[in-house]
Amino acid sequence: MADEDNPDSGGTVIGYERELADITGAIDRYGTGAPSHIAIVAEPMAGRTTLVAEIRRIYGDRVNYLPLEFVIMDSTVLDCSTYEGDIILIDNCQFLSTRKIGGFDVLDMFLRTQITSKKLFITTWNIHSWQYLCSVMNLDAYFPTIVTLNRMDMPVLKQVILSRYKPGEIRFLDEGVAERSMFFSVIHSTMRLPFTSAEISVPWIKLNFTLMLRKLPRKKRVQISLEDVILEKINRIAYGNPGVALMLWDESLKDNAISLSAITETPFSISLDTNESFILSVILSMESLHAKDLAAIAGSEMDIDRVIYRLVQQRLVRDNAGYYSIEPFALGPVTDYLRKTRRLW
Amino acid sequence: MADILLINSTEGLSAVTNATNLLSNSTEGVSAVTNATNLFSNVTSGLPGSASAANLISNVTSELPLKPIDTPLILNIISVIILAYILTYILSYILIHFADRISWYRPSLTMVIPLLKLLIYSVAFYYIITSVIELSLTQMIAFSGLFGAAIGFGLKDLFADIVGGIVIILEKPYQIGDKVTIGDKYGEVKNIGIRSTRLQSPSDEMVSVPNFTLFSQPVSSGNAGDLAMMVVIDLFVHPDSDEERAMKILRESLVTSKYVIISKKYPYTVLLEDFPFYKRIRAKGYVNDLRLEFEFKSEVTRRAWVEFRKSGIRPPTGVRAPGGGESGESLESVD
Repeated sequence: MADEDNPDSGGTVIGYERELADITGAIDRYGTGAPSHIAIVAEPMAGRTTLVAEIRRIYGDRVNYLPLEFVIMDSTVLDCSTYEGDIILIDNCQFLSTRKIGGFDVLDMFLRTQITSKKLFITTWNIHSWQYLCSVMNLDAYFPTIVTLNRMDMPVLKQVILSRYKPGEIRFLDEGVAERSMFFSVIHSTMRLPFTSAEISVPWIKLNFTLMLRKLPRKKRVQISLEDVILEKINRIAYGNPGVALMLWDESLKDNAISLSAITETPFSISLDTNESFILSVILSMESLHAKDLAAIAGSEMDIDRVIYRLVQQRLVRDNAGYYSIEPFALGPVTDYLRKTRRLW
Repeated sequence: MADILLINSTEGLSAVTNATNLLSNSTEGVSAVTNATNLFSNVTSGLPGSASAANLISNVTSELPLKPIDTPLILNIISVIILAYILTYILSYILIHFADRISWYRPSLTMVIPLLKLLIYSVAFYYIITSVIELSLTQMIAFSGLFGAAIGFGLKDLFADIVGGIVIILEKPYQIGDKVTIGDKYGEVKNIGIRSTRLQSPSDEMVSVPNFTLFSQPVSSGNAGDLAMMVVIDLFVHPDSDEERAMKILRESLVTSKYVIISKKYPYTVLLEDFPFYKRIRAKGYVNDLRLEFEFKSEVTRRAWVEFRKSGIRPPTGVRAPGGGESGESLESVD
């Protein structure tokens, strides 16, 4: 995430070194037998763009880059036979299908092209769209290498954020309090499932012993870093999403100084009916959808204008020139809500 | 207590009286009760085991340490019953409404409700008994024998229902929130009471099914405690129809539904079967909340038929497609 705006700036991808090593390892093994196609799977704003930029930087002209920005209706767009490089990198592959009758034809065509090609395909997917397509059409069977970008823990996020500044450039001010107990934090451990190569991210409670020690008598206290407390709050609000955390950091930083009181948390109280939940899950899965695509998915039975109005009015979705996406700070609450109501599987 | 009841009451307690008369006239077939009575009589009066059964019963009942039944005691008993009822009602209400808010775990929480009811009513029953009578172990055995005989011959249907309720609670053939078929009744289980189970039928009728039905009628649960439930959707098409196209449309109609849930635990399938005058396309999939069963069926059927018409797939001869003109009758089958 650190060098998201400049893919050619060099350096490593902070926080996703292991994931990058998995990808480069798979690419380096490519050349013998059928290519081991790669899927990079992540939540919105979780760092896919950074990883893609790094792959392009490392492999240069070998990579044919094809970013998708809207729903693809015509499969000829994906004709890769004329490309010169041996690696085809397609970004935002969730746009290859839509959740409607006839909405899987382009993806079917793409997968047929991919499995008959000698080129190596690296594809990136929204994690919710990926999980849906894996359930519906066993998408994971087409990708021997699946790299999932999990939510970040505070120490990694601290590295990501502070790597953008010189040492001592940021001042952490002792103003305000953390609204919640900092004695524990939720971390996400990666576990490999037995008998399969699949990895899952398991939420886990981590006790912050150093913070607990602050409650000890003064003589026994351990001085806790203020920046840890501040970054813990940012990470909690961002649900471990580095993109959201960076956005929150930038909003809270004033004149290279930041304090707990400057970090504001937007409360969300989500209450939706079936249609609204469904459309919200579709927008979350696709990341950005035009109104006409949403209308096609909703069908004639649903009043899509009313549904969109309700979602925008609750500040869960934002309108960007006719394209609808989830509000960044609502990503965590929306995901939790949709999981709880069984819209995300 | 039995003494008082037998002597002072001749109406409304005929079952108990009958049971006692039966005991006095018979020495076979009710050995457990007789033995218990004999034991009690030997202990309390020293009468020989060959004494008449009527004398034994008389001795048993005359020795029961009954408390005086006065107005405060009766009011106390009534208030305990009312309190138990209110408590079960409030707890059920709170748990059901809380369960609705936590979605995934709704069945797990509603499962507790019948257990709580049983516990509360058991405590209330125990409290009432002990407030009327103080029983020793041997007296308890004798009393249980009489009570059992009364149940067996007079109130057997009521207690069969109660036993059925206990079996439902312990064995869990279905739980509150399940979609079940009991005998020829189908609906969502809204309440499992001590005596009966209440179902909400698809037409929104409340059907009360005695718990004893569990022992005599087949019971099937569509979801077995899960929130998701498999739904079977059948569409019938003309035998000349493009069956591959029809299957693809129905499959996509199913997997893109707003009500569906799909995973390894909740798989889906689409099947074709050929009949003499039509082809049946059958889709099996899980609805994410069993309360939306019929909405799920309706949505998949409607969307599939819209696409069928666009693709030239017709219903069997003599049958109109839903929404295809004059008639909107569904083509779903009932096997």
